[in-house]
Amino acid sequence: MSSAFPSLRTRPTLPAVGVSRATSVYLRSSSIAPVHSSVTSLNSLFNQASLSSPRSPEDEDCKGLVCRAFVPYVAVHVSDDTNELAREKGFVDFKDMLRPYGESIQGRITIRDSQGISTMHDDYGVRFVSLTDVAGSGEKWESGASRAMNGSSEKAAGSGSRVFQGGSVEEVEDLVNLHMERAEELNETSLPSDGDTTAFNQSFYMLYLRRILSALPLSPHETFSHPVACVIAISSRNANPIDSLRNLYNSGNHLPLPDYLSTDYLRYYVLVHDEDRDDIKKSTLLFDQMKKHFGLHCHLLRLRSGGASVISDDDAVVVPKSQWISAAEELHEIRSRDYDDEQPTTCLPDSDATGIQTMVREMTQVSVIPFMERCIATWNDQVASRRRGISGRFLSMSKRYFSASSSRNSTSSSSNYDALNQSYPPSSPEAQMRKLADYAFMVRDWRLAHSIYELLRTDFNNDKAWKYHAGAQEMAAISLILTGTGLTSKVRADTIAPMLDLSCYSYLSRCSATYHALRCLLVAVELLRIRGGGAADEAATWAIRARDMNAQGTIGHALITERVGACYTIREGIGSGAWGARKRKAAMWKMLAAGEWLEVAKLAQSRRCLDTALPMYESSRFLHVHGFMEHLKQQAGYTPLLVDLQDGRGRRGREKGEEDDSDEEEGVEIQSETLHTGLKRKSLIVGREVDREVENEAGSGLDRFVDS
Amino acid sequence: MSFYFAIVGTKDNPIYEAEFGTSKQGGDGVARFREEQRSMNQFIVHSSLDIVEEVQWATPTMYMKCVDKFNNLQVSCFLTAGNIKFLLLHDQKADDAIRQFFTDVYDLYTKTLMNPFYEVDMRITSGVFDGKVKQAAKKYL
Repeated sequence: MSSAFPSLRTRPTLPAVGVSRATSVYLRSSSIAPVHSSVTSLNSLFNQASLSSPRSPEDEDCKGLVCRAFVPYVAVHVSDDTNELAREKGFVDFKDMLRPYGESIQGRITIRDSQGISTMHDDYGVRFVSLTDVAGSGEKWESGASRAMNGSSEKAAGSGSRVFQGGSVEEVEDLVNLHMERAEELNETSLPSDGDTTAFNQSFYMLYLRRILSALPLSPHETFSHPVACVIAISSRNANPIDSLRNLYNSGNHLPLPDYLSTDYLRYYVLVHDEDRDDIKKSTLLFDQMKKHFGLHCHLLRLRSGGASVISDDDAVVVPKSQWISAAEELHEIRSRDYDDEQPTTCLPDSDATGIQTMVREMTQVSVIPFMERCIATWNDQVASRRRGISGRFLSMSKRYFSASSSRNSTSSSSNYDALNQSYPPSSPEAQMRKLADYAFMVRDWRLAHSIYELLRTDFNNDKAWKYHAGAQEMAAISLILTGTGLTSKVRADTIAPMLDLSCYSYLSRCSATYHALRCLLVAVELLRIRGGGAADEAATWAIRARDMNAQGTIGHALITERVGACYTIREGIGSGAWGARKRKAAMWKMLAAGEWLEVAKLAQSRRCLDTALPMYESSRFLHVHGFMEHLKQQAGYTPLLVDLQDGRGRRGREKGEEDDSDEEEGVEIQSETLHTGLKRKSLIVGREVDREVENEAGSGLDRFVDS
Repeated sequence: MSFYFAIVGTKDNPIYEAEFGTSKQGGDGVARFREEQRSMNQFIVHSSLDIVEEVQWATPTMYMKCVDKFNNLQVSCFLTAGNIKFLLLHDQKADDAIRQFFTDVYDLYTKTLMNPFYEVDMRITSGVFDGKVKQAAKKYL
């Protein structure tokens, strides 16, 4: 889990790889958030976002999570000998070897936005996908929810591995369920987090969200998962390298890619040099030749040959786990790990790991990002400005009024929308603009992205291209929230709310794309939530909407219920009475979530929810509330021992609530205060059991009292 | 249409609770809440206090109309001068009827407050009070 939160980790500074731009001082504000500042500006009394609300690092990371979910996809198309080389090192193929290093690129990536202002991002990444997988996974329009139905995901690729793709809510849920069951056995309430204690609270929800955003399914209406570039690699083992490069180029072009996929992506040529087996001089010569042919977009990757290295080797480094694999793939991985225990962690020699890191970094900084910047500039000049200009407006207007007389369903010449395939051809201005907006989004130029999405949503609406329309609405709303400025309650109510609403409606009722609708809502919830204040309220409203959508199963339902509570928790009150805080609402939703966890027999989760909810209700004089609480406590086997010791607020409330409890319970409570390690805590389990029995009796006694 | 009515004291403690159904359109004035809904009602009313605490500073009147929603249920609130909240859970909009009901109950509550043996935040157990609240409910709701 730890590598998922780069803000918590000190990154080793990069051994300079020819990027002098990244040398200026850059203060990472995101990691130095005020932990608990009580400063609340007066003018933001209730409705405005108060920026000084206390946030855990994880909350801070939600925006990063969303940003890192939408990064360029880079296809990988390599010769067999290159795959062979990777296989010898213990990977499935070359893509598998690159992938973990693409997810978080070392050092900062400089991106120039449309205004010419450079910004630096140190949590940038790219996703490597296999080009053959992309070709095999073109989403059929109708099966919006999951492509697994039409069987193409079973398509064997190369070594008999499946093509894994995200976009299935059920699989995500299966995965979270699996993780949760494992954790339940250990009586843990969060993912095993590699000793990273800060990743404690919402980690199951974060896993859920991350898997929802992982491996975005290929679809015509959005181009995030369309490859931006393609790595074409050969190895020095190849007998006639130039020929095989040409073959790769041709075969890449002739793969049966879906029609809506534009093929004018960047090609990046990599020569993998086998250090031990081949002569570096020969490789250098070949590489010079490649440079002459293909220009700048080349890289010489020097790898050690030989078998898989093991952890005991001197210079071996463990290959990081891929954080953004699809739920299906992770499920597959876990299950295959269950069958045979002996699956050693893959390691690489230190020099290899550095080499791959450097390659990925250089490719991104020198080739991919400038390529995207150029595309954005070109399309912005040629396509978008024409549409924005007076003639473009006139054109779209005349299209609207004249085509109204003719039959609107037919693919009339005035519209580029192909109603039969329900997609735009990649050369049409609409498709290009969508691509422009997505590129702008991926290089985090929210403002430009937003303005293009704004244009597009009216176009798509006129063409009745509903899924495109829903997608443009979704991204318009999200990019507007990410813009971050001027997000007043009025803007939220008048602009963002209708956009999200329309997007959900289009996704759900017109395209039955539940996955996309859910993704849209959850992303909006997270982004609104971290703004705090009134936006957090709206986040809760949207979370409730997602909860009522019934797109998800019981696990997802419970997770989202809990998240509603979390949305309310983040809202801060004003003054001594904390007026305007949502502590009661948060407690109620946590309570509901505790009930839902009980129904799916996740006791540890339920207890955790009760932990946060109980301080509010412990002293409640509402009889039914009290009865309900006691019932839950009894069912979940809740004892005050399972205290989250870090949660000082909860502890205080609990102590207050327990003043009139029996003496022996207080004794246990005092003991629990001194417990700081899980080890000691477990030694008390026996005591806890006894305690639970006592409590059960008390609880049933209270139930009787309530019933009478 | 069923109602759940609660008077909540200054420390979030309920000092009076009642359930009744509508008497309009041939209703018999009996609440039809399922058993699990009872606890939910209290949760909703309790959680709406969050909103009340926010809205009370921005509303000039004591009657704050509908302050909160949960699914199809709405919570209307009337805040007395002594920071006692009248909260009514209902599922249809009826601002005026609820206002009249609240005004009547405010009368009754003020009279209870005049009782020298009654202190603020004490539970109201008087049968007369209960009867009169039910009467007011029958009249307006």
